[in-house]
Amino acid sequence: MTRVLATYNIKGGVGKTSAAVNLAFLAVRDGRARALLWDLDPQGASTYLFRIKPKVKGGGRKLVRGKSDIHGLIRGTDHEGLDLLPADFSYRHMDLALDATKRPTRRLARVLAPLAGDYDYVFLDCPPSISLVSESVFEAADALLVPLIPATLSSRTFERLEQLVSGEPSGEPQVLAFFSMVDARKRLHREVMERLADEHPSLLRTAIPAAADVERMGLHRAVIGEFAPRSRAARAYEELWAEIGERLAPERRP
Amino acid sequence: MDSLGRDGAQYLLPAELADDAVSGALAPRFKLRDGRPLTTERTFYDTFDGRLHAADLVAVHAEGRLVLAHAETLTELAAAERPDAPERIFATELEGERLRELLEPLVEVRALLPIARTRSRVRRLGVLDDHAKTVVRLILEEPVARSGRSRVALSPRLIVAPVRGYDRALDRVRSALEARLGLVPAQQPLHDEAVAAAGGRPGGVRAKPELTLEPAERADRAAAAVLAQLLGVIEANVAGAVADLDSEFLHDLRVAVRRTRSVQRQLAGVFPPEPLGRFRAEFRWLQQVTGPARDLDVQLLEFDALRSALAQARAGEVEPLRGVLEERRLLAHRRAARALRSRRTSSLLESWAEFLEGLHELPEDDRPDAADPIGELAAGRIRAVHRRMVKLGRAIDDDSPPEALHDLRKKGKELRYLLELFGGLYARDAVKPMVGALKDLQDTLGRFQDREIQAQTLRERSAEVGARDDGAAALMAMGVLVELLERDQAAARSQFAERFAAFSSKPARALLERALA
Repeated sequence: MTRVLATYNIKGGVGKTSAAVNLAFLAVRDGRARALLWDLDPQGASTYLFRIKPKVKGGGRKLVRGKSDIHGLIRGTDHEGLDLLPADFSYRHMDLALDATKRPTRRLARVLAPLAGDYDYVFLDCPPSISLVSESVFEAADALLVPLIPATLSSRTFERLEQLVSGEPSGEPQVLAFFSMVDARKRLHREVMERLADEHPSLLRTAIPAAADVERMGLHRAVIGEFAPRSRAARAYEELWAEIGERLAPERRP
Repeated sequence: MDSLGRDGAQYLLPAELADDAVSGALAPRFKLRDGRPLTTERTFYDTFDGRLHAADLVAVHAEGRLVLAHAETLTELAAAERPDAPERIFATELEGERLRELLEPLVEVRALLPIARTRSRVRRLGVLDDHAKTVVRLILEEPVARSGRSRVALSPRLIVAPVRGYDRALDRVRSALEARLGLVPAQQPLHDEAVAAAGGRPGGVRAKPELTLEPAERADRAAAAVLAQLLGVIEANVAGAVADLDSEFLHDLRVAVRRTRSVQRQLAGVFPPEPLGRFRAEFRWLQQVTGPARDLDVQLLEFDALRSALAQARAGEVEPLRGVLEERRLLAHRRAARALRSRRTSSLLESWAEFLEGLHELPEDDRPDAADPIGELAAGRIRAVHRRMVKLGRAIDDDSPPEALHDLRKKGKELRYLLELFGGLYARDAVKPMVGALKDLQDTLGRFQDREIQAQTLRERSAEVGARDDGAAALMAMGVLVELLERDQAAARSQFAERFAAFSSKPARALLERALA
């Protein structure tokens, strides 16, 4: 069974891509599982990190219409078992491309259907927005992995999101939110985290620190587990992946 | 394991190749990223008769996992966690559901046994493009085959594994390695090389003789060749039958003994009456002394099917019978094993081998058929046995005793062995339909007899089962089973006429006659 996990937040710059690539790397690290990361963000940060050309033959339009052979678009990364469906600049018009299809919110799930059985996990690295793309992601995903920066408004962000996904016709994706870019020295961060954990017991316990190593990923063009495997950030992602494994509903959809 | 996909390759590396030869061959277009050298231990599995090999598959245990993969491309099909490399695996007992689904229909009741063990030093290299992105994976492997205490170094291998979406780079890397280093793809997968190095036969030991005979060949030479192969099957299965690795060792051994006896009987005229008489008596003994163990194997193998004939609610009640059968089976196997290990068996097999080797040199005055062409002699026997079967079958009506059907079945086995062992001498397309019709008839006769034996077993075991604490309910369930078995036996009997008619029909007989002419 393939689990589809989407890193998503309405806001940008919260650590979505970092979570997607590091968790995908951890998913395949011990050689037991296979994973695909689909870089849906036209900026192509994950694609860049994996040193892969941000180019999809036929562009996003052909892909969402089901006219591309998805197998031919996939690229292997440096990590065995981890493949990437690259970003393409045309993804910035993906909303329009989706809108032109029948049942647009089901399109992404349809595009992924031929890969069922090839992968244990599919990670969707989503662009920040509320749009047809995100609606389509909600339909395709078994779980949303939501990075939250501990700020006054993050509680509202979280509640908005739970509202958004509720009432999904094909069943709601699980919302697995976690704190990201946390600076434990800031009192505000500590207070917000404490309050939110009380209000929302479903929040994950693991927090990803705002560490220099996370920022250095772009420089190394590599995941943290590769260039700083013993760093605080690398360990935090390991804990996060373990916690996600425990929390993922065993069989979410019939 | 790294999948080679369609276009990956395994090369054997010449021993004298310098350390940096590979990187030299790929420079300047590609750079290499060196990984840490690792040591990998693998245990490869197959059934004794090489069923995975025949299906182009390989089962291997490495790094705490049991993996089923495609033998050539090494593409993983299914896997299950398994901390240790077991000495024996039954598909039905496997943890991984997918693995079980794939293996069960292939290996059936056969055990997967270790066929080779290797220990390899492995260096993984990434072939990098201009962006320092891995576009091809190279694996340098120096394997050693381990068998008991012995260690045999196998040829080092270079595995070129594709990275998805970088086919052009893969082509370039392969051409560079082939053109500049003169590498040629390995002809044999690693596990086959390891099996051969340990003195084994890649592909396992087949239970059926594979022999091409010439119709004009002297009958005594042809018979000796066929019998020598059957002897090989017997000898190959002794150790596994003694160790009771799975039920099929003893079964294959017994089938080979039965075929041997059939040839002794049918081609009696190519042997001197003595020592043939002595050998026949000894093989009969071997057959009889291993019989009870096989009967109990069959009863246990059929137990679940029998159990499922009962209504769900009652199925559990018959379990005490399984316990009784298992106890008896253990004793019967011990007895069979003792016989197989005995001096009597080993000297029988030795003297039989010697006899077969010298057969064609013996005087021919008491071997009237020895110099006949095997094609004619076997055709005569096939005709005679077929005629006999037709005669026996025609005499069977609704009032005939069960023994009449049993006798017909025994003759049928005789005919089947003749066709299996000597059918290759004649036109295949004419022999095949005869084998098909015979098989259908034999299945019906077999079902008739099996049900009778099963019912008889249940009756015979009732006293023992009844004596157990949980025996009362079991006895009731067994009573129901006997009734079901008798009903099925009656159904087989009513099917007999139709099957026999197809077997003995005029066109079928004409076809056989044409094949043998």
